[in-house]
Amino acid sequence: MPNSRSSLGSLERSVMDVIWDDPAAKGLTVREVLDRLQTKRPLAYTTVMTVLSRLAEKGTLERTRDGRAWRYRTTTTRQQLTAEAMRDPLGELDQEQRTSAILHFIEDATEDELASLRAALDAVEVRAAGEHGATPSS
Amino acid sequence: MTALALTFLGLLLIGGAPRVLSGLPALRRSPRPTLMLWQATAFVGTVCVIAAGPVAAVSIWPLDRAGVDVAAAYVALAVSGLSLAMVLVNGHLIGSHLRRARRTHEELLDLVGDEQSGRLTVLSHPTPTAYCVPGRRRRVVLSTGVLEQLAEDELAAVLAHERAHLGERHDLLLEYFTVSHRSAPPWLRSRRALREVRLLIEVLADRAARGHAGDVPLARALVRLSGAHTPQAMMGAADIAHVTARMNLLAAPPAPRWQVPCVYAATVLVVALPLLTVLLTG
Repeated sequence: MPNSRSSLGSLERSVMDVIWDDPAAKGLTVREVLDRLQTKRPLAYTTVMTVLSRLAEKGTLERTRDGRAWRYRTTTTRQQLTAEAMRDPLGELDQEQRTSAILHFIEDATEDELASLRAALDAVEVRAAGEHGATPSS
Repeated sequence: MTALALTFLGLLLIGGAPRVLSGLPALRRSPRPTLMLWQATAFVGTVCVIAAGPVAAVSIWPLDRAGVDVAAAYVALAVSGLSLAMVLVNGHLIGSHLRRARRTHEELLDLVGDEQSGRLTVLSHPTPTAYCVPGRRRRVVLSTGVLEQLAEDELAAVLAHERAHLGERHDLLLEYFTVSHRSAPPWLRSRRALREVRLLIEVLADRAARGHAGDVPLARALVRLSGAHTPQAMMGAADIAHVTARMNLLAAPPAPRWQVPCVYAATVLVVALPLLTVLLTG
C-alpha cells in the first residue's frame, strides 16, 4: 500500500511545477492550477485547493485575494529550494549543539587540504598498484 | 563503599575512557570493534552512575535513622535521579529535534527532488554532493553534479558508503553518542571524543565502500567531492580533518591481526568492570 504522505508529496510537487512554470508570476487560482495539472486520474477541485493552502501554510507559497478567489505565488525559485535541499538542516548549529539530521558523504575542504588530499590519493593509488603487482591473481 | 566505587568507575568511563580512546588513532583501523568498545564505555559508565544511588540506599537500609551515612545516601540517590533524568530528557529532546528536521527536509525533497527506484533521490544541481536521510523514509540523495562528474566505480563507492549508513542505522549510533555526550556534566564531556565517534562511523561506511568498489575509486570520490563547494555550507574544522584522516586510512596498511581480538577483549572487560567492582568492595 503506497503511503498517503508520499502520494500527497508527489501531488504537491506537480502543483509546484505548475506554479514554477507559470510565466506570468502574478499567481494562479485553484481553477487555473487544476486546468494545467496533467494527471492520469481526474483531480477534485477541493484536493488541489487543500494542497495549495497547505503549501501556503508552510510558507512555500504566498496568496493574495483576487475577487472571490485566492491567487497563489511562489516565495522561492526552484533553484533556491534545491540549493536549500543540498545542505544539512542542522548543520549550522554550533559544535556543541551540533547533530546531524542527514549524513553527508563529505564536507568541504580548503585549497591546502585539497592538495594534501591529492597527495594521499597518490599514495592510495601507488599502494593499490603495488598490491596488484605483487599478487596478480587477486 | 560499593556505591562510591561505582560512582568513581562511572566517572572514569564517562570522562576518562573517551579521552584515552580518542587519543589512539590506530584504533581507526578496526572501526567496528572500536565503536563497540566506545558504546560499552558510554553505556556501562551511565549505568554505574545511575546505579550508585540505589546501591548506597540499599547498603544502609532502612533510611529511618539520622546520621552522616544516611545523608550521604540521600545525596547519592539525588545524583542518580538527576543523571537518569538528564539521559531521558536529552534523549527525548535530541530525538524529536532530529526527527522534526528530517521531516522538514523530506518535504523539501518531495518538492524539488526526483525520486528514482532503489530509495534514490536526485537533485538537479551542478555542485556534486551526496548524502543520506535516515529514518522511516530513508533514502540516498545525489545531485546531478555528482552523477555527471564521477566515474561509474566512484559513484558505486559513494552509493555503497551511503547505503552502509542507512542499512546499519549509523544515525542511531550517532544519536546515542550525542545523547550521552550532552547528558554528561560539561566538565566531564569531551568534544574530541564525539568527533572521534563521528569519524569512526564514517570509516565504518568507507569500509563497505572499499569492499564494494575498491580503495582507489573511493579515494578518488573523496577527493572529487571535497573539492566541490556546497552552497552556504557551514564548516567545522573537525570535519575537514575527517576527510584527511579517511584518506590516510585508505593508504595505511591494515590493522595487525591481534588488534581486533584485543579491542573485543577490552569491551568484555569494560562490561565486567561493574561486576568486579561490586564483588571486590561488597
